[in-house]
Amino acid sequence: MNLTTFYLAVAGLILAPLVGGLVSGVDRVVTARLQSRLGPPLLQPFYDVGKLMSKIIAPASHWQGMFVRWALVASLAADVVLFAGGDVLMCFFIQAASASFVAMGAFSGSSPYSKLGAQRELFQMLCYEPIFLVSVLCMAKAAGGFDANTIMNAGAQPLLYKMPFIIPGLVFVLLVKMRKSPFDLSACHHGHQELVRGVFTDFAGRDFALLEVAHWADVVVILWICSFLWATGPLQMVVVALVALFVIILIDNVSARLTWRHMVKVAAPLTFVLAFANLMWLYLE
Amino acid sequence: MSFLKKSQIKSPWLLHFDCGSCNGCDIETLACLTPVYDIERFGIVNVGNPRHADVLIVTGTVNPRNAVILKNLYDQMPTPKLVIAVGACGCTGGVFREAPNVLGGVDKIIPVDVYVPGCPAKPEAIMDAVVAGLGKLKGILEGSK
Repeated sequence: MNLTTFYLAVAGLILAPLVGGLVSGVDRVVTARLQSRLGPPLLQPFYDVGKLMSKIIAPASHWQGMFVRWALVASLAADVVLFAGGDVLMCFFIQAASASFVAMGAFSGSSPYSKLGAQRELFQMLCYEPIFLVSVLCMAKAAGGFDANTIMNAGAQPLLYKMPFIIPGLVFVLLVKMRKSPFDLSACHHGHQELVRGVFTDFAGRDFALLEVAHWADVVVILWICSFLWATGPLQMVVVALVALFVIILIDNVSARLTWRHMVKVAAPLTFVLAFANLMWLYLE
Repeated sequence: MSFLKKSQIKSPWLLHFDCGSCNGCDIETLACLTPVYDIERFGIVNVGNPRHADVLIVTGTVNPRNAVILKNLYDQMPTPKLVIAVGACGCTGGVFREAPNVLGGVDKIIPVDVYVPGCPAKPEAIMDAVVAGLGKLKGILEGSK
């Protein structure tokens, strides 16, 4: 590991949550504008986290704090690996660990809503993880390596031309990871769903703030991996990430929540088959 | 004022509890979330979970059955917290205050910071009450170290 990699890793540790918070702010403003509202200030997510940090409340269980901190460490580690140009597959596995810690934290609480949310979180992981894995495999196969640097320097032709069929899968993964309709099953930001805060019900105060920061870090990782599809330059990658973000917000605003049965039986198999067909195509080419 | 203290004023999350209201004040409270009033401008979100809430908005009269739930919700909220009694019934018991099963207004059970009169209270008045409550909180935070 040279010094540049070390600096990039430190930048990832600091910048990823900040960028994730800004993405969350943009999300809330754009959502409000789509609904003909003015919306909160751009920095509102930072105020929310600051407020939660200063709240005094007893945790719902002794285990929760530990799980929350491990989830945060795992999410930030995924960012560090990606910023340092490391193995995308490793980044994917670390992030899966983070999601598991969130579910375990929710299971250790006492509220039935929290437990229901945690079960749905596991269902979501069951659905999006294979699709996400196949998408990463597609990118690695086309670019010739699993390193983020290798994928970003894959060549003049964007990877998108070689993997158009993973797009529905990536949109599905983004919807689930960003907790957006129609797949905001385990938790959502709006008060109009049947299970509102779901997996987050029992987390409160500082623990909840740390989970929010972990969520920001996750969003940065997922958007970055999506931007590999057009990695011909930094600007193009940013544009791809912004387009992906806008598509997700748009879908969130025009759709209602589906059931977990629909997710398990229809959405996940369909997008998985498409992504897998793309992978086969790359291998047979 | 530090960032953390400033954040407490800029990010009030609401918990709305219908204590025994005729739904008039509840409709007006929920109207605050619509594009016409857009309460999210102030960073306000309706969370529906006492563990995440900073402001408890209570509508309707209190009776012996829902008093327990009201107290429970209040106790589950993290400090510092605000309570806003909305409507004539929430403030004093309104026209039902003499009824045998009615204990009175919200302040018979938990401490109330802001009262919003009206039958039903207007959305503008409810938003004003939240902002007034935040002003009160700001004063408390500035006074503390």
